[in-house]
Amino acid sequence: MSEIVEKQVERYENLLREMWTASAKYLGILSANLLVERVVWEVSMEYQEIELLQYDQNGISCARIAASLEENPDLPVEDMFMKFITRYVAILAKLLGHERTEEIRKRLKEEFATIPFASREE
Amino acid sequence: MDKLITGIKNLDYILGGGIPVYSLNIVSGSPGSGKTIFIQNIIFNSARAGLKSLYLTTISESQFKMVRHLQGFEFFSDDLLGEKVIYGDFGAVLRKQGTDKGLEYLTQLIKKHLPNIVVIDSFKAIRDVFPDERTFRAFVFDLAAALSIWEVTAFLVGEYEEKELTLLSEFAVADGIFHLYGQEEKRFQKRYIRILKMRGTNFEQGEHLFQISPVGIEVYPRMKPEGKELQYEVKPGRKGFGIPGLDEMLCGGLSEGTITLISGGTGTGKTTFALKFLLEGAEKGEKGIFLSFEEPAAQLQNTARHLGFEIDKYLAEGRLGIEFISPVELDVDRHGFEILDMIREKKVERFVIDSISSFESSVSDIQKYKDYLWAIGQQLKRRHISTIFTAVNEDPFLPLIVSKAHISLITDNIIILRYVEDDSSIKKVLGILKTRGSDHDKALREYEITPNGINILGKLDRTDMLR
Repeated sequence: MSEIVEKQVERYENLLREMWTASAKYLGILSANLLVERVVWEVSMEYQEIELLQYDQNGISCARIAASLEENPDLPVEDMFMKFITRYVAILAKLLGHERTEEIRKRLKEEFATIPFASREE
Repeated sequence: MDKLITGIKNLDYILGGGIPVYSLNIVSGSPGSGKTIFIQNIIFNSARAGLKSLYLTTISESQFKMVRHLQGFEFFSDDLLGEKVIYGDFGAVLRKQGTDKGLEYLTQLIKKHLPNIVVIDSFKAIRDVFPDERTFRAFVFDLAAALSIWEVTAFLVGEYEEKELTLLSEFAVADGIFHLYGQEEKRFQKRYIRILKMRGTNFEQGEHLFQISPVGIEVYPRMKPEGKELQYEVKPGRKGFGIPGLDEMLCGGLSEGTITLISGGTGTGKTTFALKFLLEGAEKGEKGIFLSFEEPAAQLQNTARHLGFEIDKYLAEGRLGIEFISPVELDVDRHGFEILDMIREKKVERFVIDSISSFESSVSDIQKYKDYLWAIGQQLKRRHISTIFTAVNEDPFLPLIVSKAHISLITDNIIILRYVEDDSSIKKVLGILKTRGSDHDKALREYEITPNGINILGKLDRTDMLR
């Protein structure tokens, strides 16, 4: 795995952790993990590798995904994570209402300005 | 907050627009209270709006009978089955594979069908499958979390008794509780729905009547007097009867938008006075409705014709409407609501209820009757509809009993009609007890009802008539 991809995965892992922590504040850990489970299932239709995402009551880890990139370096990891995050935030917005989600969205955007978050109409 | 529109007549109104989406709701009630029809009506209406429902039974035998029974309702449609309304069995999985597999199975079903609504019927029945209350409670919490994450609005249906509603764990996690129950009230077997809890929306509290008809469920919201002070504009206009002597006694007529009680013994002419009031309005181009609980429309028309009133003309022109509800069929919970609906729809300026005594006799709970009449009265005043309530005075020679339930308190004007004995003959006299915000003639005057109409005659020379 190239150093660039490694850095990329690390960045996304940080982002996912932040997102998970912020959403667990509102949903609770059980529901936050159920949401991760749901989004993993949805994204796995396109990227099966997302099933390697580990999550439990302590949070989220991308260690197994990073390891799998050693064998599959061509995986469009950025697109996979973008889709995960976009979907996660979109569902969160429906569950919590847009006002609360806006806070999480804002923080994520500061970090990742290029993330095309889903519109309200989604 | 987004709402699930139930599409059930008046239910969305009492729910403040619908049921908040992704909420977990319990529909409780004893067997036969209408729970299953209630929920089926919601899911079929939702199906027509494009939403998908997963209906899971926990007693496998009931599904076939349930679908068969539903075919008699207008909301049911074969075309929606399998596509938008999907039936499944949940009880067998819990019993055969164990309760720990239940959530997994439910999640699989949700992934497969991606429903907007999930119903578990009967939820109470699966309590027995769990080894103890603690395990069941954990299941309920996990279930609630899972369903909301999948953006599902859930309904757990169960044969819960009212006393269980505060005790069982499922009620603690519920966002909404609908309680359905029946009650025998005189002639009718009545069904009521109460919303005990509904997070995220303002709802109308108290018991609301509902009926199960071929259409499905129809709810009649509880009529209640508004707590806040009624603010309404008193208009300066007068609404006369077209009876010269009486209009003079009223200084030109009744104040516009007020409520008048005409109280009198049987045969004193309450109905005739009230009818004349509407006919006078019709003559002036004002729409009026005569709501009769006493005489059918044909009988009223005959009476009016005998008195020389041009009733047929106004009926044909739509300026006058007569609605008759048999006192035997009178159900205040339903008709009270329909009366207001009718007034709103037809935009009337004058309105008569003949008589409120029939209304009163059909309600076993006198407080409820008062509430209904207050609510109707408030709505009428707010809409500036000049209204007459007639009331039967059981003793025609006693003038001061205007109504048993102190309804005189909500009326602005009171006219009494009574018999008096005078020189070995019975005469009829009319008096005005009060006219709010206006002066009136305090004299008791004799009147007669003849084929030429109502004539107000002179004062009777007696001093003991109000004793």
